[in-house]
Amino acid sequence: MVRAVSRSFGEVCLTAGVILLLYIAYLFWGTAWAASSAQQSLANQLNRDWAHSGGPANPFDPSPDALHLVTGQPFAFIKIPAFGQNWRFTIIQGTALAQLNVSPGHVPGTQLPGQVGNFVVAGHRVTAGNPFWSEPSLRNGDLIYIQTGANNYTYRVIGKQTVLPTNLTVLDPVPGHPHEQATRRLITLITCNPAWTGTHRVIVTGVLVSAQPRVSTVSKSVKTAG
Amino acid sequence: MYEWIWQRLPGGLGGKAATAALIVIVALALLWFVVFPWATLHLPIDQVGVG
Repeated sequence: MVRAVSRSFGEVCLTAGVILLLYIAYLFWGTAWAASSAQQSLANQLNRDWAHSGGPANPFDPSPDALHLVTGQPFAFIKIPAFGQNWRFTIIQGTALAQLNVSPGHVPGTQLPGQVGNFVVAGHRVTAGNPFWSEPSLRNGDLIYIQTGANNYTYRVIGKQTVLPTNLTVLDPVPGHPHEQATRRLITLITCNPAWTGTHRVIVTGVLVSAQPRVSTVSKSVKTAG
Repeated sequence: MYEWIWQRLPGGLGGKAATAALIVIVALALLWFVVFPWATLHLPIDQVGVG
């Protein structure tokens, strides 16, 4: 009897262990599978929208209207060659779970691509296609491409830090200096660190190095570079 | 536990094996498509927001 009980206990423990491993696999691949079909339809939506859009907006000061900012709707692509040649995600408006579960999102209230200040994008490290899985491996000098309906933006990574989730100053137009007047055009990528947890955030900062209208030749050169 | 279940499966060796495989598949599908998505909504996994 004691033997049967202890064997059953062992079996339950083993089963729980296997289920836990399976759950980790689910977080990594199961959610990615769902997110990739969402990414596909968001990308199609962007390409459809852009096919009907007018001429290029001012690359250095796109208005929210020109970008059609609607919560949950995509308005840009992000490409980071350091993450792989095929790495590309949409950027949608908003960073609630409903948004982040399908795409990296633009933090509302922060600036837009190309604007003076801080364009902040948050994305999952794990789950939802693991978009920012490799973010901590970005190094100074790595390039970040942002593509909107009208323009192509290139940012170069200039810094990386780990902060507490309560550190709101990373969202400021001048990160870390809430009251300063912004002069630089920055991008900030946010994801969680360490992976799988919510204890810290890893922050990567980049500065705008070029902004060009998205005419066919330019988008071609960006494609071959990215 | 598993021995107890095994003894209660119907049929000969082949039947038992087939039923066991079916049960395993159904259990895995339930976990993957129902339990795990539900758990993910309620666990503090991979929070990336600031604030």
